[in-house]
Formats: sequence, structure tokens, C-alpha cells
Amino acid sequence: MKQIVVPGDKLEGKVDSYVFTDAGNTYSMVLGVFDKGDGVGKLDPLTGKYFPQVDDFVVGVISEIKKGGYVVDINSPYDAFLMSRRIYDEKDIILARVNNVSEVRSVSLTYDKKLFDGEIMEVSPVKVPRVIGKKNSMVDMIKEKTKAEIVVGQNGRIWLKGGDISKAREAIDKIEKEAHTDGLTERINEFLNKVI
Amino acid sequence: MGGAKTDIKLISKGKRIDGRGFEELRPIKIEAGVLKRADGSCYLEWGKNKVLAAAYGPRECFPKHTQNSYRAKLTYRYNMAPFSTDDRKRPGPDRRSTEISKVSREALEKVVFLEYFPRTAIEVYVEVLQADAGTRCAALTAASVALADAGIPMRDLIVACAAGKVDDEIVLDLCQEEDNYGSADLPIAISPRTGQIHLMQMDGTLTRKEFSTAFEMAQKGCLKVNELQKKALKDKYEKIGEEYGTE
Amino acid sequence: MEQSDIIWEVKKDAIRRMVKSGKRSDGRTGDEYRKIEFIEGYIPKSPGSCLIKMGNTQVLVGVKADVGEPYDDSPGRGNLSTSCELSPLASPDFSVGPPGEMSIEIARVVDRGIRESKMIDMDKLCITEGKEVWTLMVDIHVLDHDGNLTDAASMAAVKALSNAYLPKYEDGKVLYTKQGENVPVKEQPVSCSFVKIDETNILDPVLEEEKVMDAQITIVTTSKGEICAIQKSGSGTYSREEIEGMVDKAIERGKEIRKNYW
Repeated sequence: MKQIVVPGDKLEGKVDSYVFTDAGNTYSMVLGVFDKGDGVGKLDPLTGKYFPQVDDFVVGVISEIKKGGYVVDINSPYDAFLMSRRIYDEKDIILARVNNVSEVRSVSLTYDKKLFDGEIMEVSPVKVPRVIGKKNSMVDMIKEKTKAEIVVGQNGRIWLKGGDISKAREAIDKIEKEAHTDGLTERINEFLNKVI
Repeated sequence: MGGAKTDIKLISKGKRIDGRGFEELRPIKIEAGVLKRADGSCYLEWGKNKVLAAAYGPRECFPKHTQNSYRAKLTYRYNMAPFSTDDRKRPGPDRRSTEISKVSREALEKVVFLEYFPRTAIEVYVEVLQADAGTRCAALTAASVALADAGIPMRDLIVACAAGKVDDEIVLDLCQEEDNYGSADLPIAISPRTGQIHLMQMDGTLTRKEFSTAFEMAQKGCLKVNELQKKALKDKYEKIGEEYGTE
Repeated sequence: MEQSDIIWEVKKDAIRRMVKSGKRSDGRTGDEYRKIEFIEGYIPKSPGSCLIKMGNTQVLVGVKADVGEPYDDSPGRGNLSTSCELSPLASPDFSVGPPGEMSIEIARVVDRGIRESKMIDMDKLCITEGKEVWTLMVDIHVLDHDGNLTDAASMAAVKALSNAYLPKYEDGKVLYTKQGENVPVKEQPVSCSFVKIDETNILDPVLEEEKVMDAQITIVTTSKGEICAIQKSGSGTYSREEIEGMVDKAIERGKEIRKNYW
């Protein structure tokens, strides 16, 4: 049983994230979809920025070269810092893992590798699970049908290379627009099969 | 407060100049997510008022020296477009807009989870496109919806509404004529969940008893408008669900 | 979506690729306008108004009128003034403050198009020669920025002026809410803007195309196919042939816009 909730709506049951408690009650902090579930509820925001969590894989862009490392744009209000043996130039695109997020939200990255050539695009970070799909089913389908290399970061930034890039982009835009609806996989499959 | 003299009867036979009952709101229409580039947005019509609100953030806070290590910096700007009033308003902030911006920002400060986003900025911009009294209430009501549309975490949807005194009667939600010729105006903003008052201003003259009557009337008005805020946010996503498949 | 400068830099190659291929990111060719929607009278309390939606770009224009003194060199003619506000609502890059060079340029180019095309019969705006004339004030309010603000502002201004009335003027007082005569409109100019990306010139750029452009040119034409205003901006350069080619396109597109929307 899913319902759309807004900030201040009271929620039944046990919910972990995007909630706050007041006088023993639990309330939603955000505009999101609340699934009561069996005992443990889940609240997924419908919009919002990317806030790094440890172990997230992100697609970043080297934005500044500093003495000890690199400042990386990770599509978040907070820049990330990368210390690496590898040499990067400004504008290089990398895939990295979030290693730590401090109290003042300084983010450090690790396990970095360069993504050569290719293009980047962004989707709303809350839509990333849909772009990836259950067990990568959605992104694998797009890769197969367009023959493009695709890396989807938890931060909503996506790297694409080769194949029918335009079609892959269009498919991803479509997923973003219709992310919280049913039957999406079918419609994307149909779209990818269409020959223009 | 106008308090100007007029021969017009603002209230006659229990009906107001625009035909409303004493506790009746003007028609209100709220739409969320109407702008592409802002992180969140809301278009709101309240009687003849037309306002457009946009929210940005959390985003990097510039200039850097204004960053706060403990919380996000909240900015609110209320602005009237030059064509929004009967005679043209010169572009740019005036003292009235500055005051409204300040008390509106203060109304939101305890509601937005600023402490979750140190070193960032959260900004709300509201443009009044057409004005017909009660613009600050319309603006703040729209601002809440825009913040929620942007995914910015809050403790509640702040909502605002005014009551006032016209021809010795306490009435809800003054329209422009009533504001021009009435004798008191009391705009408030509340958090519907807690009932707490986050904004209050008053000008004119009210007896002690009239004040309580107006206060209660405005609170009730707020709760009604809050239902419309919630509906606007839910509608935005339910509509897409209808088009492509139910949730 | 807000992006830092470096991210735009990274994306430029992809945008250039799409433009060069002849199929832009929204599927248009280099010669096509986006779908345009006009909502006239959007601000009913204002004597004239129009909201334009050009793809995701949204611009609102309001027209007001007031009585004042004529200029010394035109004692029998009314006045026109145009201003533009790039509201922070429209883009994360717009900030509060007095008009910067971008908003001033838009206002002046739109104004020139209206003035030089002789759109308004300024003589009819005279009330008492040498003493009292109508001043028309066109206020451009940009609400959502996805490129080509100049054309959007110009077209909305033309529509707003075309549906505007002058307030009533009685006993030396302007009755702002009382409807008087219609604003005397004789002509309706059309503005066409192109941006140059590498060697390709494309019509009606979206924001990401503007971000990678080398130069931009706006050409305003009248119903008679005359050119009444031009503005080249940006530091890139054009050859003569390029410009002549775009002038032809602007005249052609002008005819189309008139047919479809005017």
C-alpha cells in the first residue's frame, strides 16, 4: 500500500529514513512515497539533491587540482576530495567510491578509476534505482539494445560511451520522467525496440 | 491598512463587496513543479493574486565567508513585478518588500531542517505577478510548496492567511477594496501540525475581543489552505501515475 | 538543474556533436523553432500582458501606461520604455540586484525592434502637444530560462502591446483601472535569434546550446520583409555570407510566425 506524503504527514509503523519524531509520533520530512509494508515501512523521496553516503559509487568530474589531491564535483551541494596515486587533469571523468562523510559534510573518495572519453548526463538522484532496475535489469536492457557503455552513479550522474548514445539518453530521460509508475520496463523496452 | 473614507458599502446584507460570507476564502488554485530550472516551484492564485515561488538548494553557499559550519543559510526574497499593481511599481526592493522578506524567512527558519546541511544555502524567491491584497500570505504559502517540491526536508508545510476588520465586522481574507478601506489587517502563518504561530503582523485597530476573533478566524483559514497545499503536491505525482500506470 | 562551470565545459563536446550532426538534443533541425504558446492577458489587471512558453523558456511581459511630459525633440509623440528583469526564479545563475548587462541588452534589443519597426503609432499617444503624452512601459519578466530569452521577450512584448489598452485620462488624472482606447498598433515585428557553434548557425537555441556558442545574432523583421533591428553579441565572428543567409532565414521565419501566431 503506497501513498504520497508531504512534510509533516504522520506515518504509521516503523520507518527509518527521511522521518522525524515529535511527541512519540513519526512524521515525514519530505515529499515522497510511503510504503507501509509489513511492520517496517519505507519512505522514498520524490525529489531532492544527492547527499553522499559511505560506499556509494559516484561518477565525478575533477574540478580542481590541489596539492594533496583533487577536488571532485559529484553533483552534490558538497564537493568531494580525492587523494590518489593516479594522475588526473581537470575535466577528467572518474568513477569512485565514497569513503567517508564528515560531520561538516566533507566527502572523501577512494577506489577511483578514469572513465575515458564518453559523455555525461544527470538525472534526479532519487530516480537512480529506477534507471538501474532490479539487479541491473533496466540499465542492462538499455546497454544491450543501444550497444552503449553506461555507468550509473548513485549521485545521479551517468557516463555513456559509444553505440546509439542519443537513444540511450532518450531512454534514460524517459525513465526519469515516469520513474514512479508501473509498467515502465515494458514501455522502455518498446521504446528501445522502435527503429526510427 | 487603508482606512480611507469611502461611500462604498463594503458589507451589505451579510455579504461582502465580492459576494463572500464573512468566513469565506477567495478561490485558491495551487500548482507544484511549474518551472524547469529551479529545484522546486509553485504557482499560486489566491483571488486575483498571482504568485510564483521558486526554491533552490541546498547548494554551495557564496560568498564563502557567509557560510555557516552548522547549518544552511536560508534566504527569502519577496518581490513585486512592475506590472503587478495598479500603478507601475519601480523594479527593485523597497522597504515594504524587505520587511516582508525578513518576517517570511523567519517564519520558515524553524521549519526547514537547516541543521542537516551545514555550509550550504537554501534560497526561496517569490514573485508577485498580480497583486490584490494578501500577497505576503499567498507568497509564503507558495514558498512552502516550492520548498517541498525541491525535496528540502521540513517539519511541516507552513501556511499563511489573514483576517481583518471591515465596516466593524471581522472577516477572513481581505480583498483589495477591503484592504484599502478596512480598519484592521492581521496576517498570520502557522505550522498546521503543531498549531504554532510562525508569522504575525497587524496594522489597524482591534479591540481585545475583536483580536481573538480575527486570530481564530485566520487560524481556521490557514488550515483550509493547508489542505490545498497538500493536494497540489500529491496531485503533481498522482497525475503522472494516472497517465502511465497506477502506483 | 544547477551545474558548475566545469560541468558545462565537460558537456560542450557532446552538445557540439549533436549540433553538428543536424539533430539537436530535442530532435530539432538547425532551422526550427520550438513549439510556442502565448497566453495573452495573463495579468488581467494590467492594461496589456502576455506569457510566452517557448519550450521550457517562460517569459512574462506586462504593459503599463502613464501620462507624462514628452521629450523636447518630439513634443507631439508619446514615449516607450522597456526594461527587463532576469528573475532568480528563472535560473540558478541569476542573482538579485540591479539589471546587469545581459538584462539591459535584452531590454534594449526588444525596444529597438518595437521602435524601429514603427509598431506603435506614437503620434496617437499625444494628449496635449508639448505638455502631456502617454508613456508606454514594457516590463519583461523572465520566469524560466532555457535559452533564447531575446526572441521570447520580443514576441511576448509584441503580443502584450497588441492587446493593451490605454487607461482613461480624466481631469488630469490617470484612472489606471479604467479601460480607455486600445494602444495604437500599426505593425508587428518578429525577432529571430541564431547562435553560432563552431561553423554551424542554429535558430532558437536552448540553454545548453547558448552555453557553448561562439556568437549570437538577433535579426528583427517587419511584415514588409524589412529589417529593423540587428544585434550581434558574443566574441565569435561571422562571414558576410553567413549573415546574409541568416537575414533571409529571419525574413522567412518572420512570415511563418506571423502566419501561425499573429
